[in-house]
This record gives sequence, C-alpha cells and structure tokens, in this order.
Amino acid sequence: MAISREVFVLDNGAYTAKVGISNSEHPRVIPNCIMKAKSERRRPFVGDQLEDCRDASGLFYILPFQKGYLVNWDVQKNVWDYIFSKECCPANFSETPLVVTEPYFNFPSIQEAMTEIFFEEYECKSLLRINAGDLSCYNYKKKNPGTLCCLLVDSGYSFTHVVPYIKGKKLKQGIRRIDVGGKMLTNHLKEIISYRQLHVMDETHVMNQVKEDACFVSQNFFRDMDIARKRDKENTIARDYVLPDFTTLRRGYVRSIDPVDKAGESEQQQILRLNNERFTVPEIMFHPSDLGISQMGIPEAICHSIGVCPVEAQPHLYANILLTGGCSLFPGFRERVEAEVRSRAPDDLDVQVTLPANPVTYAWHGGALLGQDSEFSNMTVSREEYEEEGHSLCFEKFDI
Amino acid sequence: MASARESGRLKDANQKRILDEAARRRRMRKALEALEQDNFHDDPHADLVMSKKVPKFQETLESRGGRRKKARSAEYYKQRFRKTFAQLVEEDQNYNPDPPNYMSAQAPPSKVPERHFCAVCGFTSNYKCIPCGARYCSVEALRRADHPPKESYRMCKI
Repeated sequence: MAISREVFVLDNGAYTAKVGISNSEHPRVIPNCIMKAKSERRRPFVGDQLEDCRDASGLFYILPFQKGYLVNWDVQKNVWDYIFSKECCPANFSETPLVVTEPYFNFPSIQEAMTEIFFEEYECKSLLRINAGDLSCYNYKKKNPGTLCCLLVDSGYSFTHVVPYIKGKKLKQGIRRIDVGGKMLTNHLKEIISYRQLHVMDETHVMNQVKEDACFVSQNFFRDMDIARKRDKENTIARDYVLPDFTTLRRGYVRSIDPVDKAGESEQQQILRLNNERFTVPEIMFHPSDLGISQMGIPEAICHSIGVCPVEAQPHLYANILLTGGCSLFPGFRERVEAEVRSRAPDDLDVQVTLPANPVTYAWHGGALLGQDSEFSNMTVSREEYEEEGHSLCFEKFDI
Repeated sequence: MASARESGRLKDANQKRILDEAARRRRMRKALEALEQDNFHDDPHADLVMSKKVPKFQETLESRGGRRKKARSAEYYKQRFRKTFAQLVEEDQNYNPDPPNYMSAQAPPSKVPERHFCAVCGFTSNYKCIPCGARYCSVEALRRADHPPKESYRMCKI
C-alpha cells in the first residue's frame, strides 16, 4: 500500500550529502564540507558553492566527519544551514518529515546530538534516523520484489561496509568494516604521484578528480602489472593526465600518450604520466594489506560476512549482492567483485552482483520510496514524543 | 662511481642505523595515519583576521524576526558535542563492550599472504632495504629513493 507523502531525505555522507524532497526526480549531491581556496581570500566555500570558485588549486578542506563519524559539529551545522537555505535545497521541517542517515554503529553520543539538533534547532515535526544501507536495501527490495535477502557493500569515502540483510533486517553480527574508502585512495594516489613525479600533496581536489577519471579496477592484477612494465605501444595502460590550470582548463582529462609532442601545446600543459597507479590504487580495496592494513579485501569480507549468517539465508545472499557508494564507480569494480566472490563461494550457489545505475544516490532513492510506505509513520519519532520521552525513545525506535 | 664492482646496497647499509621491528611498525602506523589526513598543507587563510561580521550564515538573519527562539550558533554545537573520535571509541567500549559493536565489526586479517611492492615504482619487489625494511625492486629504485624528484617532499621510504 502506497501513500503519497512528501518527505525530506538527507543522506548525510562524509564526502557528499544527498538531499532533496522525495517527490523530486533526483537528489542534489552537495559536498559535505567547507573549502578554502588560495585564490579567494575573502570567503570560504560551503558545499557546492565551490562552483563559484575560479581557481580550485590548493583547496583546503574542513570536514565535519572523521573516520566516517560526525565529530565536527560546528562545521556540519554551517553546511546544513547552507543546505536547508533558500540558496540550496529549502526545507520546511515543520510540515515535512525528515529522513536522515547515519553510519553503522554510530556512537550513542552522536546519535543524541543528531536527535537534539534536528528537533531543537531545526524544529522538525517528525524524524527518522536510519542507516543509509537500510535505505539501499529497501530500494533493492522494491525494485526486485520477492527477494528475501540482500548483501550490501557500501564503499564510501571513509570506509567500506559489508552488511547482510535478511528479510529486510540487518544482521549486526555479520557487519564487516574495511577501513579503506575513497579518501584513503585519493591520499595514497597523492603520495605516490608526489614521490614519483610531481609534488601534488596540496591538491586533494584535483587528485581526487584524477582518481575518478583515470583509475580502474584490474581484472587480472599481475597481467596488468606486466603490461604496465612494457614500453611504448605495447603498454596499453599508461595514459597522460592533463592537469587543470584554472585559466583555460577547469577540469583535467585523460589522454592517450602522444609519442610526437605537439610543441607549444604541451609546454603550457602540466601533465602527469599515469601507469600502474591507474589500477594499484583501487586494488587496495581488494588487498588492504598492500598498504599494510591487516584487514580482508572486499570479496573475502563478503564471504566472511555471509559465513556467519544462517545457512538457509546464504544462497539468497550470494545471489543478491548489491554495490553502492562512490568507490563502486571504478570501471571493472562489479566484474572483479563478482569474479572473486564466484571463485570463493560454494560452486552450487548462484552468485550475482548488482551495480545500480547511480550507486551514490541509491540510498537516497530508497529513502524517498520509504516515505511512501504505509509503515513509515510508525518508524518516525514526532517532536511531541521526543519532548515527552526524550532520547530513550529514539534509541528504542531507531535501529542504528 | 661504477668503477668498483661492489654492492652499493651493502656499503650504505653499514653506514645507516638499522631500524628495529618496533620502529618499523611505528613508521608504518604513521604512514597509515597520514592517509587519513584531510589536508597536507596549512590553512591558507590562517593569517587572516576575520571580521566578526563576515561569516553570515542563514540562521542569524531568519531568527531575528518574531521568532521566540534564537537560533544557536555553530559555536554552541561545537562546545556542546565536543568529543574526539578516540574518545567516542573508548566510550563505546565502556558502555557497549559486547559485540556486535564498532570494534568487532572490523574485518579480520586476510588469509591470503601479503604481496610486496616496490616503495618507489609500485611494481612487484623482491628486495628489502636493510636499514628500514622498505621494499624495492632494483638497484635503480634504491638509488632513486635517495634522490626523490622533489627535495621539498621527502617520504624517505628507503
């Protein structure tokens, strides 16, 4: 049974916040941070105000999240104030219920702060705090009616979570966290490029774009290593990346290696030569031990997580692996996860890995759908209830 | 330089202090912490003295009218919920010591053996630097490690 109801969904990620009213087609994706530019000394840029910034080199980030958890509340407050303002994504919380996401195992004092700030500062009428993964899983269930289980892999900015959902409920004992996310990959890329060719340690923003544009997940790591070792034409992996100069070029781009240097053009352009960096960086998600992190990679963690689930649920989990989060956008990610899980899983079971069209906003769309559910109003806490019963009710109702 | 046929690796190794296992682990941990950094450089506006009137965020303008409650400043929330990540983890372990919790959710070590890559070029490595234990793949890489391309930025891996 569906009810037409507007809800405001805020998928509050550590890197971007996905925000919007449930009846809009897509959420707005707003960087969840405040940035300072060297070129613009008069003001900091909040969220997507960065688009106004001419010269985004040497960008300085002030982030509300640390290791995936909200700790800098003053920063978050400023970003939220901007997001909910008329300039960005106006919200009327006195009429529209709010769905806001939190990470798994969010710490109790952060949960209390969330509840307090939304009820007392933003004066919400009713609130639902929920894990982003619950929303993704809900979305998956709506799109694939009849599926009993779903194994969610959320590779975000701060970390990657592997979470088994059985009949729509997460099995907390099965949750596995790998402390590798987009932030670490960008920082690692920055380090190796700075060591090998050009000092780019100050250019997190630009190097993040390099990572997004040029990196891919290898399907056969050591074969690609051999290719990257070759010279000239035989090396099909090496690429040049033209760095932005912020006068004629705002965003860099990948281009194939040109043996004949076009004089003049390349004098003005600053170029990074990318070779094995293109696939050794995303490889860390599959082998965190490459960097000295003694944790499993994603496929191994998937099988480990499914291993603690009830035996009767395991075939369904293997057949419904769902990838979300920005890091699942690397080309080849889905294929690699599927191939590795296939080789580890019992051979009589089906393995199927799904990558949604937009893995970044998938949870937000789940939240928008959940708002239409007839059960929705039973899940939320209203301001009257909060004022009556305080935090204890919220801990009872919200399963974070 | 290349006149004498002797091992540069062994010769240098005698001069350098050899790091013990604990120091190597410390160095490794530091390297991992560096990967969590938000910024490498300092705040470019740190030297600016901000006028108190400058950062006008929405709330101060709206709350002025007939509304009874004055919106709290960002500073209020900073003070109200001031807790570092380490404090939060510690608190969680005290209040919620039984799994599943944040600590127990961490993925266990892999069963697959570690792979080794050259700290300089990223290709597979077969050798280890004697003083510090970093991996490298060739004499060429070891030499380059002593002369990183940019002097201002030294990781000093080997």
